[in-house]
Amino acid sequence: MAHRRSRRLDPGQVRILGAFAGAVLIHCVGILTIDGYGSTFALRSMLVLASLLAVASVGQTLVVIIGGIDLSIPFLIGVANVVAAQLHGDGVNFALVCAFVLVLCFLIGLANGALAQGLGIHPLIVTLGTGTIAEGAVLLWTHGAPSGSAPDAVANFVSIGGSVGPIPVPWLVPCFILLALLIVLTLARTPYGRRLYALGSNPTAAPLALIRPVFMWALTFGLSAVFAGVAGILLLGFTGSAYGDVGQPYLFQTIAAVVVGGTALVGGRGSYLGTIAGALVLTELNTLLIGLGLQAAAVQTALGIVIVALVSVYGREPHVRTTI
Amino acid sequence: MSAATLAATRATPWLRQTVARSGFAVLLLIVLLTVNVWLYPGRFAPSGWGTVIGLAAPLIGAAFASTPALLGGRGGIDVSVGPAMGFVNAIIIKGLVMGLGLSSPWLIVPVALALGGMIGAFNGLLATVIRIQPIIATLGSYLILTGLTLTILPSPMGVAPAWLKALAGPWAILPVGLVFVTWLGLRRLPFYDCLMATGGDDRAAYTAGVPVTRVRFLSYLLTGFYAGAAGLMLTALIGSADPATGPSYTLIAISAVALGGVSFRGGRGGLINAGIGAIDIFLLQSVLTYLNVSSFVLQIGYGAILVLAVVLTALQERLLSRRSAHGA
Repeated sequence: MAHRRSRRLDPGQVRILGAFAGAVLIHCVGILTIDGYGSTFALRSMLVLASLLAVASVGQTLVVIIGGIDLSIPFLIGVANVVAAQLHGDGVNFALVCAFVLVLCFLIGLANGALAQGLGIHPLIVTLGTGTIAEGAVLLWTHGAPSGSAPDAVANFVSIGGSVGPIPVPWLVPCFILLALLIVLTLARTPYGRRLYALGSNPTAAPLALIRPVFMWALTFGLSAVFAGVAGILLLGFTGSAYGDVGQPYLFQTIAAVVVGGTALVGGRGSYLGTIAGALVLTELNTLLIGLGLQAAAVQTALGIVIVALVSVYGREPHVRTTI
Repeated sequence: MSAATLAATRATPWLRQTVARSGFAVLLLIVLLTVNVWLYPGRFAPSGWGTVIGLAAPLIGAAFASTPALLGGRGGIDVSVGPAMGFVNAIIIKGLVMGLGLSSPWLIVPVALALGGMIGAFNGLLATVIRIQPIIATLGSYLILTGLTLTILPSPMGVAPAWLKALAGPWAILPVGLVFVTWLGLRRLPFYDCLMATGGDDRAAYTAGVPVTRVRFLSYLLTGFYAGAAGLMLTALIGSADPATGPSYTLIAISAVALGGVSFRGGRGGLINAGIGAIDIFLLQSVLTYLNVSSFVLQIGYGAILVLAVVLTALQERLLSRRSAHGA
């Protein structure tokens, strides 16, 4: 019976299920070892943190599927965070502020994708460069001391104490589930999604099927930057005040979430569902390790060991001989 | 490729190949060096060379260390170079000098290299034998090493022995030079050809009998040894143990390597490219510091140079390939 089932699931689905099972397992360990780990408050805060990470990782997922990588995400999170707070503090209407910030991010992302694909430069370098420039420019503009804060609406939207009617989670969580559904549907059912996978799995064949690589890369990196911007604005609501380096932990966390979720960094494979599972695993782990009373440094070490261990169980790449 | 062009490629001296690969970076090096000598006549006089090289050494060392793993191709990269340098720094000062009271160079240098080698072997094992994607495997090491360093060494402390400090002063050329000489030696071994072949096209290399896994493992080991050496250079420069400085070298070393023209797709470039890129960034920092601009302008300038350099190099390559296509 088990044999037949394993035949029906492809390896990608097994990895996603594995990641979700991992999150549940860590949660069970937490309940058994730490008092209050299973409490509603802990669950709520983990959901909020995982949602924030998953929003920041949307772009990384898309970019990895197309065969790239985006290191500008943490910088753009910081840029969106600071610019939104600063402009809001100057009395600009917050809807306008959001629109401006997201358009700005989109344009930076467009440049990333167009440069990387158009000139054949490794996306890692391009995005590192543009990210550094963007963050430097914003810090220069604010003299390194950004001011301003988030409007109450955004703060309530992501507040751990918030609730949606009778359900004790902030609006962020249901909205995120809706967003996740949209992204999963977009990837599976729209021409854009098909083209993304086609281009990622075979960059030589896709243009012959009339997929324009430069357009697709520019659009996808643009989207990635927009989601980084959204994460930056949400983080502004979460922390209350602007901070240029707020995105830095997300540099490696978004990549880790994507990979723990079973998406290979080779392009053409992967799913957003996996990334959500990856974000849950990382958040659960972090909470568990801090809950066990580990120092920040020790948490980092343990996180490194666990990521490596997890990925070596189900994220292994094929040997060269099998790719010939 | 016809026999004539093949012969022409072989006849091209390696210096010209390097210049062609680095393109913009070499030009930038000349311009920045001229500007620096003009701005700081005293500092860049021959008597000050030791100190200047010592200041640049950790970055050059980190860029050297990042190169072998990249050359192996198929996503090969080592993002743990910076934390590895910090870890070596912490173990030398806190463990050997302060803990055991040992300060002999005959002990410290082998220990630093062995530590680097162990880290490299660990990364190599993860990335090539267990076959985790290199960026994730080395990210794991990044987190582990950063955490360990902070646990051993919560805050800056200690003093480096005098001989080690001299390696950032009058004798600064020694560590950088020695690392580079080992690379020149390696270039004469079959390993180098196997590494470049693997990086260029691992499937073709595998079919041709290159032991791809072993070659890639050795590239990570080499990266580890070089990271150990870079850790020594860092210790020589700061003259103490500091948990915060190491990790910051990872991204700047990656930028330096890209600027110098080492291909992130593997198989192209070498330590000389990495060195040129690192010196570019160092000289740029030096110019911008003279102009007394804020660190944010420095950040913008350094990002802009990085993007500009890779864009110009890509355009140059495109132009060259078009011209050679017309020629044929």
